Formats: sequence, C-alpha cells, structure tokens
Amino acid sequence: MGNATGRAPRRGEPRGNPGSFDELHRLCKEVFPPQMEGVKLIVTKTLSSHFQVTHTVHMSTLGPSGYRFNATFVGDRQLSPTEVFPTLVGDMDSAGSLNAQALHLLGERLRVKAVFQSHQAKFVTWQFDGEYRGDDCTATLTLGNPDVLGGSVIVVAHFLQSVTARLVLGGELVYHRRPGEEGAILTLAGKYTAPKWVTTLNVGYGGAHASYYHRANEQVQVGVELEANTRLQETTFAFGYQLNLPRANVVFRGLLDSNWSVGGVLEKKLPPLPVTLALGAFLNHWRNRFHCGFSVTVG
Amino acid sequence: MAAAAGPGSGPGTPGSGPAAVAAPPRGLRAWLRSAFRFATDRNDFRRNLLVNLGLFAAGVWVARNLTDIDLMAPQPVP
Repeated sequence: MGNATGRAPRRGEPRGNPGSFDELHRLCKEVFPPQMEGVKLIVTKTLSSHFQVTHTVHMSTLGPSGYRFNATFVGDRQLSPTEVFPTLVGDMDSAGSLNAQALHLLGERLRVKAVFQSHQAKFVTWQFDGEYRGDDCTATLTLGNPDVLGGSVIVVAHFLQSVTARLVLGGELVYHRRPGEEGAILTLAGKYTAPKWVTTLNVGYGGAHASYYHRANEQVQVGVELEANTRLQETTFAFGYQLNLPRANVVFRGLLDSNWSVGGVLEKKLPPLPVTLALGAFLNHWRNRFHCGFSVTVG
Repeated sequence: MAAAAGPGSGPGTPGSGPAAVAAPPRGLRAWLRSAFRFATDRNDFRRNLLVNLGLFAAGVWVARNLTDIDLMAPQPVP
C-alpha cells in the first residue's frame, strides 16, 4: 500500500490537538459490533434545535426487561458536528436509576464535565472532570467519588502531547485513596496515525492494550485488538471488520475473538422512513452459548 | 530404605544397552515435553500472551494485505 506519488515533506505539517485520552482506541472500537440480545425499540423525537427525547423499550432474554427515558439539551455554542456546549443529558430507567451528565465550555480551551449515577435511590458515582485542550496537547484531571468525610477519592490525570503530525505520546496516572489504603498506577500511551491506518498502544503496571485500525477502502474497515491484564492474568485478542454499502443502506459489523466467540450485527436503514433495523447474533463455541437480538430505531 | 536413584539411571534399566535405538538426549526430550506442555496449557498467562500476540500480528497482516476488496464489483463472467 505504498504511496506511489511524491508527497510533501511532513515537517511542515501542523501537529494539531491529539484529542482526549479516552478516545485513543475509538476508531478501532467503533468497528466492532455492539452486543445485542432481546428486542429493543428506540424512538427519538427532536422537539426543537436544542432539545431531544428518546424512549427505549428493551425486552431482554438474559436480564430484566425495562424502559428508559432520555432527555438531551444542547446549547448554542457548537465547536464541531458532535461537540455542542453546554450539553445536559439525563437518562432514567423504570427502576428509578438515574444517569446524568453536564458538559460546559469555560473559555476557548477549558471544558468541564460532571457525571452523576444513582441506583435505587443511592448515589453510586459522582465524578468531576476538567480538560484543557491546547494547540498540540490535552491535559485532563478527573475526581471520582470524592468523599471528604470518608477520606476517599479517585484521582485520574491524563496528558497527551502531539510530538509530530502523526505521533502522539502521553500517559495516565490513577491514584486512589481509602482509609487505610492508597495506591497509584501509571500507564504510558502512544498513538501513530497514518493516512490509512492508526495504531495505539497503552502499557502500564496493570497490563497492556494494543489496537490497530485499518481503512482498506470506503467500504471495508478492519480493527484488531489485544488486551492483557496482569492482575486478572488474562489476555484477549479480537478481530473485527465493518462493511459499508451506502447504495444498499447497509452496514455490517463482524467479530471474532480468542474466547471462541463469533458475532455480527447487520444494520439497515429504510429510507424514506427515518427507521433503522438491526439484527445481531453472537455465538460462543467454547461455552456453547448463543444469543441474538433485534432492534428498531425510529428517528 | 535405599536412596532412590533417578529413573533410568542404573545399568539394568531399559534402553541403556549398546543395541538400543539412538534416542534423543534426555535434555532435549525433557525440553520438548515441557515445550509441549507449555504450548497446550490454557491456564498459563505467558503462553496465552504469546499466542494472542501471534494472533494480533496475523490479524494486522490480514488487515493490511487481504482486505482491499470492492464489494460492489460485478462478478467475473466464467
């Protein structure tokens, strides 16, 4: 796949912002099919240019069935098609469990986020993020479940630096503290971006995570992933691919992994209706387990 | 109780005479046996890591060399 034509020297290319640490493996992750089981109906209604609600009914074969209500409010400040500030998101299920997020932009480069999760009238997660996006670097500080009275907290710090136009290096430091116990874990990360492929590696005391994303052409994308967890003494390999057929309004995602699982999800849009049909099936040969799912998304 | 000698170490043990078929040295046999045990032990973390590293490399090779397929191309006429 060499580039036959001459290309401009890379030294003049601007380095650009490397994005956030959590999105290092995003391209590879998006190739893999989402787990589907049972029957799901998702209805999204846009009430205005700022407000949208979603109703989700899920009839599950593996767990409890239920209903979820989601409301999303977005403000006026739009940085990109996917980033609008402020953003308020609330999600509640039929058991009363709440998941709420608030994102806001303070100035040109500073973003803040607050996340709250409750389960059966009890808060299980409260988290506050601050992210600084420079011209060629990103720094993030996260406070997870800070408890001043109980003396416990989880602090996560991320830093990513664009070393060249294609190479990003960085790291993550996780510090946790509880009464009588504290510890820290350091993870180093690197990402190399080429015109047709991206490879990312995270290495730390807890293990390693490597991913390779390849865009073969407009129709075929492939992702390969390796995860090793030294604490659980487990390693996993996964191979995923995505086939896009815009003329048929079809997207197919397939998966094969080292746990002897194979699976696939087929999504088909039904124009001119704003309806998307999804069929998925997953089979674990080693454990002789099979589950399939079907979903309809309206809006 | 006599001290136990290693298995196959005495003059009366099978395979020790000059007419016996030449067998691989015990060191090599033991190495092969332990290599086979290592390669087939699904609970060994290092073994699983090596196997999955090899699969990752194979997956990257497949992604780079075998996936440039035109799904909308017409079927070749025989």
